[in-house]
Amino acid sequence: MSVVREAAGAPADRCAPGKPLYGEILEFLYREAALLDNNEFAAWVELCAEDIHYVMPVRTTQFRARGAGFEQVSFFDENINSLRTRVARLQTESAWAETPPSRTRHFLTNVLVTGTDRPDEFAVAANFLVTRTRAEQAYQMFAGRREDLLRRVAPSEYRIARRRILVDQTVITSANLSVLF
Amino acid sequence: MANERVSGKAAQMGTRLASGEDLEHIVRPEEGLISRRIFADPEVYERELEGIFGRAWFFIGHESEIPERGDIVARQCGVDPVILVRDQAGVVRAFLNSCRHRGMRLCRTDRDNATTLRCPYHGWAYSTSGELLAASSEHHYGPGELDKSQLGLIPVTRLGSYRGLVFGSWDPAAPSLEEWLGDMRWYMDIIFGRTGEIEFVGVPQIWDVECCWKIATDNFTDNFHVYWTHQSLVELGLLPSDPDFASHGHMVTLNNGHILHFVQGPPMEAFQGLGLPKSLWPRFKEHLNPAQAQIAQAHGYSAGTMWPNFHWLQLVTTGDTKSEPVGILNLRLEIPLSPTRTRMYSWFAIDEAAPADYRKISYETYVRCFGPSGIFDQDDMENWEECTATARGPAAKRYALHHKMGIGRSPDATWPGPGTSYADSYGEMTQRAWYAEWLRRMRHPAQAPGAVQRPRARVAS
Repeated sequence: MSVVREAAGAPADRCAPGKPLYGEILEFLYREAALLDNNEFAAWVELCAEDIHYVMPVRTTQFRARGAGFEQVSFFDENINSLRTRVARLQTESAWAETPPSRTRHFLTNVLVTGTDRPDEFAVAANFLVTRTRAEQAYQMFAGRREDLLRRVAPSEYRIARRRILVDQTVITSANLSVLF
Repeated sequence: MANERVSGKAAQMGTRLASGEDLEHIVRPEEGLISRRIFADPEVYERELEGIFGRAWFFIGHESEIPERGDIVARQCGVDPVILVRDQAGVVRAFLNSCRHRGMRLCRTDRDNATTLRCPYHGWAYSTSGELLAASSEHHYGPGELDKSQLGLIPVTRLGSYRGLVFGSWDPAAPSLEEWLGDMRWYMDIIFGRTGEIEFVGVPQIWDVECCWKIATDNFTDNFHVYWTHQSLVELGLLPSDPDFASHGHMVTLNNGHILHFVQGPPMEAFQGLGLPKSLWPRFKEHLNPAQAQIAQAHGYSAGTMWPNFHWLQLVTTGDTKSEPVGILNLRLEIPLSPTRTRMYSWFAIDEAAPADYRKISYETYVRCFGPSGIFDQDDMENWEECTATARGPAAKRYALHHKMGIGRSPDATWPGPGTSYADSYGEMTQRAWYAEWLRRMRHPAQAPGAVQRPRARVAS
């Protein structure tokens, strides 16, 4: 088992699967996802730290030797003010891409937690699948890896200090990215 | 029999559709009536592929996207996949992204740097200037079976560049790029030459929308929609609450279907000089003639369409409720994938002379406002999909869309630039001009079908 953990970059420590801290973080992620799926965006943005950087880089197809293809240009490059603006927009009745609202489902798996050099901050990697349907449309799907930096501000209470959304698609097959990840 | 075939072909090449309807009757730009049929009909789309995408000039990429020798980006010219490359001599070239042997896609990444292009199928190798260097196991070819001098990559038939923007056409009889763009170059100078060179930053955002490509092009010259489509931003105070705020300007129609708007913003310094930092304003007079410089100085917003599907958007806005307005230059391209599906490209560009802090905030504001995640764009795409979806049925196809606004308005002779100009940017003159060019091209769609082009080396000027 320890070999597997080392290979995944997670030392056999207090963050390992099965440990109380891992369970606490997993519960936070599930509660956060439920807020997004329940259209509780105002509550969701409260979970973002004042210094959050929320970014979804554009991905390109590259040869293996040139890396994973994540570019400097992004689909999202957000701070707390722009995230609050997005959330405020979703609460108007005239943000037509979400009025009437989409129905989304956030699925998170393969969650690994790693400690950092700050005792209150944890690097959390997860695979995500976000499905979206609206009106009579077929499902749109977004899959990828999320790399978060979560800050523990109280027992069982976290703030998202950084979120990198590493989407698998180079061409987004959705008219718009009006959902949050 | 021979006559029947000829007349059959002639009918096919005219404006009469299999349904019996004639495009001349259902698309009447001069009356502001555009049939819904053209936004969902497979037959119309098939004719567009030859008549428009086989004939017009199309934006491929910007020279700043391939700065080094051997730099390659995979793109389209019209709807055909092409390789845009700076060859080992530094010349910008474009080729069909397809091996001469079996047609395999040669460049299979979005961008690369290479000295040769080798086909994965049988190993044929080409130089970056398109010559066939080697076919593998050549000793199996007999005498005369492999003439490598005739098997170079298929170049884009016509290639040209203006202000770093590389355009191509598949029509050997197309006018030169300079002639095609015509007076549009005078306005492109304002957007792409106002302070020196413009740089495209990084790769484009790319996404697919379930819409007819023409619904999107129509929207890129439509100021009238801004207040209602982007109502959420009015509510948040990111846009003015005056429903006429985007009307205070001029629109211009030019030859070959090119169209544009220049709009003044609120009477604040941030909305002058195209939203560029004040430190760059003196450059207008150095790089532009007095009339161009005056237009750049007096306006905040501009949208232009280099017919048919390449657009600039020059705007002043903020991406959140706390920041000051900043200028953004966004370039957009629509590539149809089917009658009702379109691939969207969005680039961020900036003046090379721009200071670092402005570059950063302009870029961040662009990402927050435009592209698929943009708080502006998100709602536009909703319109495009729904306008397309409602055009599919036989009943809808009997009815025209309404493009009559300003049909009786007289041109404004006081506008200092070329073309036909109208005061008041709320009006559908530019759309009518776009559809008039579309109809003109659909009347004369095709050269002899099946004609095989011999490759000719062409070099971007």
